Amino acid sequence: MSPAKRFGKVEVSPEAVATIAGRTAMQSYGVVGMASRRLKDGIAELLQHDSCGKGVEVRLLDGQVFIDLYVVVEYGTKISEVARNIMRNVKFAVEQSLGTPVTRVNVNVQDLRISGKA
Amino acid sequence: MRDPEVDTPPGAVVLHHCDGAGLKRAMQAATAWLEKNASAINSLNVFPVPDGDTGSNMLLTMQSTMKAVAASTDGDVATVGRDLAHGALMGARGNSGVILSQILRGFAQGLDRRQTIDCESLAAALAEASATAYKAVSKPVEGTMLTVVRETADAARVAASQTTDLVVVLEAICAAARASVARTPYLLRVLRDAGVVDAGGQGLYVILEGILRYLRGELEEEVMIELAPEATAAPRAAGATGDDAPYGYCTEFLLEGQDLPLDRMRERITALGDSALVVGDGSLVRVHVHTFDPGAALSYATSIGVLRQVKVENMQDQHRDFLAAFAPAKRTDGLATVAVVVGKGLSEVFTSLGASAIVPGGQSMNPSTEELLAAVESVRSDRVILLPNNKNVVATAAQIPSLTTKEIRVVPTQTIPQGIASLMALNAELSFEDNAAVMCRAGDSVRTIEVTRAVRAAAVNGLQICEGQIIGLLDGELLSAGEDSTQVIGHLLERASAAAGEVITVYWGADIGTAEAEGTAKFIRAGYPGQQVELIEGGQPHYHYIISVE
Repeated sequence: MSPAKRFGKVEVSPEAVATIAGRTAMQSYGVVGMASRRLKDGIAELLQHDSCGKGVEVRLLDGQVFIDLYVVVEYGTKISEVARNIMRNVKFAVEQSLGTPVTRVNVNVQDLRISGKA
Repeated sequence: MRDPEVDTPPGAVVLHHCDGAGLKRAMQAATAWLEKNASAINSLNVFPVPDGDTGSNMLLTMQSTMKAVAASTDGDVATVGRDLAHGALMGARGNSGVILSQILRGFAQGLDRRQTIDCESLAAALAEASATAYKAVSKPVEGTMLTVVRETADAARVAASQTTDLVVVLEAICAAARASVARTPYLLRVLRDAGVVDAGGQGLYVILEGILRYLRGELEEEVMIELAPEATAAPRAAGATGDDAPYGYCTEFLLEGQDLPLDRMRERITALGDSALVVGDGSLVRVHVHTFDPGAALSYATSIGVLRQVKVENMQDQHRDFLAAFAPAKRTDGLATVAVVVGKGLSEVFTSLGASAIVPGGQSMNPSTEELLAAVESVRSDRVILLPNNKNVVATAAQIPSLTTKEIRVVPTQTIPQGIASLMALNAELSFEDNAAVMCRAGDSVRTIEVTRAVRAAAVNGLQICEGQIIGLLDGELLSAGEDSTQVIGHLLERASAAAGEVITVYWGADIGTAEAEGTAKFIRAGYPGQQVELIEGGQPHYHYIISVE
């Protein structure tokens, strides 16, 4: 967030980063929902589409960005690959809009959804 | 001899069914075709991460899929389908690979317990593939592989209701996939900005095209190596298929006869070259071989049967055609558009349609040559299409080509609506030249009404105009004057035969309030109930209204 320094200070809140990250995660192929991070030990609850910031934890430490995502993935996709895609997509989208490198994107697959046949 | 009355024309061998072995080979052909195109697909990749690996990822996914299928028994399509789906799942790489695996999974589910595929079940399986692909994402992004598989499945359903010929249905599928890919830039902004089509969509199209090529017998050499057991011992060892080696002749024919010695033929043909394929039964055999001596293959064949559908092609030419066919997709990479526009709303319209740069200017504020040149130089592309959007700017724009080393085409749009129509006609699949031509034509197809206030009294075209009166121009010609703008607009819409048009778009200017603009739109809607009337805040100075009729 240094480019703007000479004109003043720009602060990006973790919530803003979370919105970008959540939105991108939801658009990542294989992700069918975000899971509330408050229910880590319970049933991962499928969140409504408009609450993109849910299921996302953003920490800004010494100018470094750490993102934790809690997602529900479609059963029958290759989970490791879906998770890797989420990491790459989110890292790219956040860096693109913030101009700040993202240090880590951790993906936690909280649950699988089985759509069934019909 | 065969009776011409009952014989179908040469080449019209109708294929109604495909069994498991056929499906497997078709997918092998598709994989080989994808391999040929992978790097072209990589160069298109800009979404969701522009890392240029979509083609490679799809290819790796397909290769892993085929490895899993190699062990599967050739029996029914349901078994092969299940193995395909399993292989794709295990081998999925990248975003496009995961989507592809999901498509194959749905396809396999659609084949449920079937022995063979016919047109109807192909369409049903594709519909299932599309549905399954959409299920695995909560926010589908259109303008991607998802769009292409959905539109392709729709086309398959329509085609399957009209024919039982698998080749015809596959042709319809490929045509739909191609058209769908071409539309992706209009659905996904990031593609339009980069001037490319969606890479994953293109990959899916290439796979479908590979299947069609297999069904038509237009096989690639890699597939041949897979298919001809004799050749697998030393693939490419002949040196004729090396990278820089000459290509020889791709020789194909059908041979008719009685009790044709298939095994013996295979031996002889394989000895003549590589990528040999000899398939059929004792009465009809299809032969394919890459050889430097097509004559030897043909004279051997005539010694044992009757030749039909002989095709000998220079593979160097094929290779060149292939390269040429895929060049246009890259050619538009460098195309940019610069438009002369004034007004916040109008500028946004141009930007949203993909204009790379906007130069402020218009009636009574013509941009200088320097300003235009600076905009042209500022865009990253070396090929620029200029849209002057005003009669007085056309001349200035015409000087630009001689002032820069970049390649410039001026599409001489005289009004804003012409400029918008031109920009909408821009097609990422066409070449620079073709685009310029298409855009010129598109600009001519729209009629423009401009409404303003007379700054002085005058007599024009037999009209006595007082200072301060509302005047209206149709395509730049002053044809109406009055006290009230709705009256002038009504008159000009009639002159423009708006009743024969489809869309009337009203861009209201900076001097007009929202309420007044809505009143005008209401007036137009009342007069033209059959037309779609759009109201957009153009924010232009000078003109109260700019109206397009198309």
